[in-house]
Order: sequence, then C-alpha cells, then structure tokens
Amino acid sequence: MWKRLLLIRGAELAALALLAAIPLMVDNSYVLGLLTLLAIYGILLIGLDVTVGYLGQVNLAQAAFLGLGAYAAGLCVANFDFGMLAALAAALVVGLIFGTLLAFPALRLEGPQFALATLSFSALSATTLNEWEGLTLGAQGLQVSRPPFLGMALDAPEFFWLCLLLLALVWMAMRNLLSSQWGRAFEALRDSPIATDAMGVGTYRHKVAGFALASGLGGLAGGLYAFNFQYLQPQSFGWDLMVILLLGVVLGGRKSLWGALVGASLIALLPNLLSNRGLFQIFSAIGLLIALAAGGQGLLKKTTRPFQALAPVAAMGILMVGSLIVGNTEDWRKAIFALMLFSVVVGLPEGLMGFAARFLTRLFHIEPPRLPAPASLDTVLPKRTANGGALLELRGLERYFGGVKAVDGVSMTVQAGEIHGLIGPNGSGKSTAVNVISGLYVPTGGDMLLRGKLLPVGSLFKVARTGVARTFQNLQLFGELSALDNVMVALKDVYRSPLPLVLLGLARAEEKRARAAALALLELVGLGDQARSLAKDLTYGDQRFLEIARALARKPELLILDEPAAGLAHPDVNKLMDIIKRIHERGISIILIEHHMDVISELCGVVTVLDGGKIIAAGTAEQVKRDPKVIEAYLGVVDDPAGAAAPAQAG
Amino acid sequence: MYTLLIVQLAVSGALMGMVYALIAYGFQLTFATSKSINFGQGELVMLSAFFSLTLIDSGLPYWLVVPGGMLFGAVLGLFVERAAVRLSLEQKGEGWILLTIILGLLGFSAAENIWGRDDRPFPTPISSDPLHFFGIDVTPLELSVAIGVLAVMGLVELFKRKTLLGKAFEAVSADRDAAQLMGISATRTIQLSYGLSGLVAALAGILVAPITTVGPTMASVLILKAFSVAVVAGLDSGFGIVLVGLFLGALESLTSFYLGSGWREAPGLVLLILALAVRPNGVFGKASIRKV
Repeated sequence: MWKRLLLIRGAELAALALLAAIPLMVDNSYVLGLLTLLAIYGILLIGLDVTVGYLGQVNLAQAAFLGLGAYAAGLCVANFDFGMLAALAAALVVGLIFGTLLAFPALRLEGPQFALATLSFSALSATTLNEWEGLTLGAQGLQVSRPPFLGMALDAPEFFWLCLLLLALVWMAMRNLLSSQWGRAFEALRDSPIATDAMGVGTYRHKVAGFALASGLGGLAGGLYAFNFQYLQPQSFGWDLMVILLLGVVLGGRKSLWGALVGASLIALLPNLLSNRGLFQIFSAIGLLIALAAGGQGLLKKTTRPFQALAPVAAMGILMVGSLIVGNTEDWRKAIFALMLFSVVVGLPEGLMGFAARFLTRLFHIEPPRLPAPASLDTVLPKRTANGGALLELRGLERYFGGVKAVDGVSMTVQAGEIHGLIGPNGSGKSTAVNVISGLYVPTGGDMLLRGKLLPVGSLFKVARTGVARTFQNLQLFGELSALDNVMVALKDVYRSPLPLVLLGLARAEEKRARAAALALLELVGLGDQARSLAKDLTYGDQRFLEIARALARKPELLILDEPAAGLAHPDVNKLMDIIKRIHERGISIILIEHHMDVISELCGVVTVLDGGKIIAAGTAEQVKRDPKVIEAYLGVVDDPAGAAAPAQAG
Repeated sequence: MYTLLIVQLAVSGALMGMVYALIAYGFQLTFATSKSINFGQGELVMLSAFFSLTLIDSGLPYWLVVPGGMLFGAVLGLFVERAAVRLSLEQKGEGWILLTIILGLLGFSAAENIWGRDDRPFPTPISSDPLHFFGIDVTPLELSVAIGVLAVMGLVELFKRKTLLGKAFEAVSADRDAAQLMGISATRTIQLSYGLSGLVAALAGILVAPITTVGPTMASVLILKAFSVAVVAGLDSGFGIVLVGLFLGALESLTSFYLGSGWREAPGLVLLILALAVRPNGVFGKASIRKV
C-alpha cells in the first residue's frame, strides 16, 4: 500500500522537480523554449485525453480550442489590458463555453458523427479567425505581448515555471476527477450509453461536462501558447497540429496522465527529430526494432492477428528506408507522422505508457490498492417492509413499431413485495414492455403508474431515478471497467461532493464508502473475489450476476430482470435462483422475465403470460401452466389428446 | 438584371454541388455495407486527379484517361479497406476513423512530394465556352460534371439492383449477420463497396479538376462539403444527396457573393452541425430503433 503510494507519487514529484530544475542548470533559451512547449502541450493533451481516452470519441477540435483560447487571451490583453491570470482565465472560460456549445449538438452522436461534428467546428473556427479581420487581423497574424503576472513582468524561465505550475495543478485536479465517480461515468458512457442512462448516471451531463472540460483545458493551453510565442496566426491551429496532437495522445498512451506527458515531450521534440537526419535514422531504426519485437512476440503468443503484427513492421520499414533515401525529411513530415501514428494505432493500441505501466508494475511488484472490508448489507440495501398495495400499474399500455403492435393494450399490476413472472413465447412483447417501462421506448398509448404516480416516459435516466432498476437481456456491462467499478458507477445516494471538492481531492471519504458498499453487493451475487477483474473478462454467468449487482446499486424498489437465466448453465441457474430469493428477502419487488418454467414456478407468486402483445393469462404458475390458451401459444393448436402428447415426447 | 445574376450564381453553384453529391455518394456506398466511411476520401479524389493528369501528360487520349483514373481510384479504395478498415471492423471498434485519417495524411504527403505543392491546370477536351439558356450561362464543362455524376450514380444503382453481386451488396447493407449466414462474404462485399467508393471518388476528381485545377489541397475543402451533404441528407438517403448537393452548392455560391469568398465554406459547416444536432439521421435518412 505505502510502497505503491511512495513509488507513484514519488515518480510524479521527481519528474516535476527535474523539469523545474533544468532552467537552473542549463542556461539555454532554446532548451527553455522546448520545455515551455512541453508543459503547454501537456495541459492540452491531458484535456484531449478526456475525450479520446475516457469518452472514447475521436475529437478533432482540440487544436481549434487551442487557437480560440490563444486568440481570446491575446485579444483580452491587447484590447482590455488584462493581466496574465485574468487573460488565462478568459482563455479557459472561452474554451469551456465553446466546448459546451459544441457538446450540445454533438451530444447524441457517436463515433463518426462525433468526429465529423468536431471536424466541422475546427474548420468553422479556422474560417472565422481568418475572415474576421477586424478582430483578429486575419492571416496577417496578431502580435501578443506577455502581460505582467500579478504586477511582475515574467522572463522566459519564470514563464516556464508558471506553465509547469499550471501543468502540475491540472495534473492533480484531473487525477482526482478521473479517479472519482466522474471518471467512472466517462468510461461507462463510452462502453454503454444505454446502461449509463439506465443506471441513473446521466450520459447527458457527463458527456457535456467531459467535453467542456477537455475544451477548457485546450483554451487554457491556448492562453499560455499565446504568451509563449507572442505571435498568432490562424493556420497554426489547423489540421496539421490536430494530427500531431492525436499522435501525442495515442503514442503516449490513452487514459493516462503520464501518457499525456510522454506524448507532449515527443511532439515537442518532433521538429528537432525531423531536422536532424542522423537522429531521425536512429529513431526510425528503434521504431522498426520495437515493431519487430512486439509483432514477433504477439505472433508467437498468438495474441495478435497477423495484420496487427505485420502492418506496423511494414510501416516502420518504410520509415527506415525512407530515412536513408529521402533528400529532405522535413518535406515528408506528414508522411512520417502518418507512418508513426499508423504503427501505434495498429500495433500498440495502449501506447507507450500503457505498455510501460504494465511492465513497471511487474518490475516493482506494485500491488493494487487494498480493498476495504465490505459494508454490511443492511446499510447498503436496508430491508424494505412490504406494505402491500400496488407498486407498478400498467393501464392499456401500447407500443407500435409501424404496423407491428409489439405491446397491444397490456394492463397489469405488480404488488409490492412480490416476484411477478412475465412469460410468453418469443416475440410476444415481453422485452418491448420492459423497454417501455424502463424508458427506452416512448409508449404509443396507455399509462404507467408507480405507487399511484405517473412514471416518466421515454427517458431511461428519469425512470432510473424513480427507483426502478433493470438488467439487460443482451448484456450491457461497462466492459473496460472492473466489476467493482461497474457497481460503483451505479451506486445511488453516495456521491454528494460538488465538483470543486472532487477536483481538490476532498471527496475520498465518500469514495471509500462507495467501495465498501459496492463490495457488499458483489458478495451478494457471489462475485466478491472478482472485484478487480474487468467486466469483459468475467465468465458469461458472472457477467449476468454482475448486471444484477449493478442494478441493485440503484437501491431499487422495483427490479426488472430481463431473462437473467438466458444461456446459463444449470449450476448457474440454481445460483441465480438463490440470488433472486435473497434479493426478494430484502423486500425488493421483482418483475422476472424468463423462459425457464421451473425457475418461474419456484420463484413467482404471480405470473402474467403475453402473446402477440396481449395478456392471455394471469394467475399462479400452476394455473397458467394448465391454461389452454397458454398451451396453445407455446405449442400450437391442439386438436386431439394424442397430438398434444407428441411434442412433449419429442422435446 | 440583379435577379438574373443571383440565378446565374445559384445555377453555377448547384452544378458544382453535384460533385459534392458524388463524393458523398462514395460515403454512402461504404456506410451501407460497413457503417464506416473513409475520412481520407478527399485525398483519394486528389490522388486520382493527379494520376489522371500524369496519364494525360504521357499522351493518353482523354477517353482512356477517365477509366484509367477510375481504376486507380478503385485500387486506392481497396487499399484503404485492407489497411485501415478491416481490422477495426473485425474488432468491432471505431479505430477506422483514426486510421483512415492517417492514410489520408500519408496520401497527401506523397502527393506533395511526387507531384509538387503547386496547383496545375487539368486539360480537358470539353469546351468551357458558355452556352446560353434563358439568359444564363452554362459551360459544357459544368454540364459534363452533372451528366457524369448522374450517369455513374445511375450505373452503380443499376448494378446493385440487377446483378447477383449487387444483390449481395444490398443484402449485406440490410443485415450483415443474416447475409453472412446465407453464405455471402461480408468482408468481400465491404471490399467491393470500398472499391466502388474509390472509383466514384476518382471520377469526382477527374470531373472537377478542370474547374478547380489540381493540387494537393484541391480536395480539402471539397471533402468538408461532401461530408455536409452526406450528413445533411443522411448517410442512407440514396438520391437525397443529389438534392442536398444542388442546394448546398447554390447556397455557398450565394454566400460567397454576399459575405466574401472566405466565408464560402461556412454554410456547409453550420448546416452539418445543425443537422447532426437536430436530425442525426439526415433529412432523407431513416431513424433507427435502439435495441437492447
């Protein structure tokens, strides 16, 4: 525990001290310029990593935000005589505002559409900076003077220390943020936006917040950029820079502050690398060797596909050959970036730091932080006293898809404290009904009441907040998060600290409570020893149980289980029944959708049968099993007793 | 007189818009089969135009240059699919966004160094002496663009509807998994779509080159507008892109008249962001149902 803290914090402090001390040891304005640029790029890339790494979206606007921040800071100084701090604050705010504005339309978008939205925004901001000559002087460029910092004029070394100080502050704040509920929420909505909403976390505000934050850091870096170079031109913030920034994040390693720093150092040094031929040849030779080693290892261990191993070798080979024959490497800089990026994206997707982190953890035997003792289940899921009465009431619920009446006038009541079975043949409308109740679909008609009050319609998020939780038939886990984090991200009533406290690292107590509570839920479903495994690495059965634990973290009044036993092996089905009984004992009402009749018979007091979107029978399990309409729906029309026996024998 | 000028501007702009529609059609082809598009498509347009220019310089007649250039584009399209798209589709990831951007960058750099950074004229046998229709000038060159665009789009659509291979294409577009279970290779079909997409992009390059001249940056603005057209119309909108292309072309021509030529890209970009915000599936696209 202490060893981990010592090594990690120690490395951070050592790096900071080293960087800060260089100007004292070396009196060289060129080196100082590089270091300043490194610090600025560091802030910029930490921001970019929020979108590219944590939100998992290709963000092509970070260079534009750098530009907007730079111009904002420069113009504030030129026109309003702002001091350094005020101008930097203005740059940060401009980044935040434009980031929020862009995030709103980009909000519902994924993948390519998100990339396109950010691409258009960059092009638009470049056009505006170029054409609004009255303000920005257009392509002619804008001279910026470095304003005083709290009344003091800053020389190059002092300005560098300011940049470094800001980088350190950003670093600490982001470390606190990304290891909190916010960071988990970012990753959750990358892995499954639907489940994020269904767990009441809210994709909406987290995506906007994440993007705005990234843009704000871009703006702040822009302010520093302006005062560093003291001359701005719109074309500096274009496509070329954007590609270099992506190279920095991807090469350094996503989802890593160290990765951003390594990436920043690399891209700050790139121009030197390209202008010095010998250096470049050495560099490409190293690249080729890494590609060969990584590819060969991957092929031998069969962890990578042949393409993944061979393509980077080919790309690095071209780079190596090119470094020997090309006349002027600077002419080919774009191709060189392209080849390097290509190799990293294909062959080393986790980046240099992702690779190094694994290696170092093994080298120093760093153990992961110890887990607290699980909280008592009574504090996490206090026993509800089932006071009877109607909990959920559906009145004439309808949902049509075009001409298909998937749910066609369903009225049913779930009493508090019962396990209500919902069965029916495939395509009978069970899942659609659940999707309407949980807010994924807007009902075509009918009412839904929870404890007599209308349930919100068409919003997973709002329904989740009323105390209805659900699992998904097709698993919607947050695959890249650990089992523990999957549960923690959904925990209700734990995270109360406002954002500033989180940024300052003053929200650790609630984080600890959340961890203990989540562990208790994991133990309830028998996953206590799997807390650290990534959700995607769990066995199929365990993934189903994890879905249940995650839904329980909502502390629901009503839990909807959508075919929890689908595809489970027999021992796991028994375990599942056990889990459901234990949940029921805590006074949680359950709607259970299932195909296994034995599960239904054993657990459910009341069973409703759907067919063709309508209720065809309701009652106890025994009653509906004998109902002729139910038999007909499952087995077809029965003409004579002999025919009825035949399918049973065949089955 | 003033009205006539406006109409003239709108018509010339709209004819240019046909090129955006054609490039956007290339996006539709690959999006249909694989839900992916080539972010480096502009470089494909530009490289094919340069290659065709080299063919012309080597003395080949124009009617041979066109298929030659298109073939080159198709080969590039296949390369993009193999190097940048296939792996990430297999991993069900979105790495192709970054990888196609990267390949575009590589192509750009190669063009800069092989053919130089300057813009060069692209000779064409088609006349640019204006014809007069109701007081509006239209050059045969502009008309050839419109005709070429419609012809190739028509041919590809015919191919998709009338041939067995085309039907496989439609099947994969409708449901990749089901098509695969019926013995259609999705990988092959996606490959085909990238080849066709490259072919279409090359034709766009050859058609537009005499008007814009050929240079490494010739497609960097074209491609932004093609993105706008594709997104505003919807990536599965079929011929809707032609209408949007005409509209956007006219709009930007008028914008550049009223606000200055520096602002001519702005309407397309604003429309793109607005369309994504209001109708992410496009004006002519179909809304999809979220399934869990």
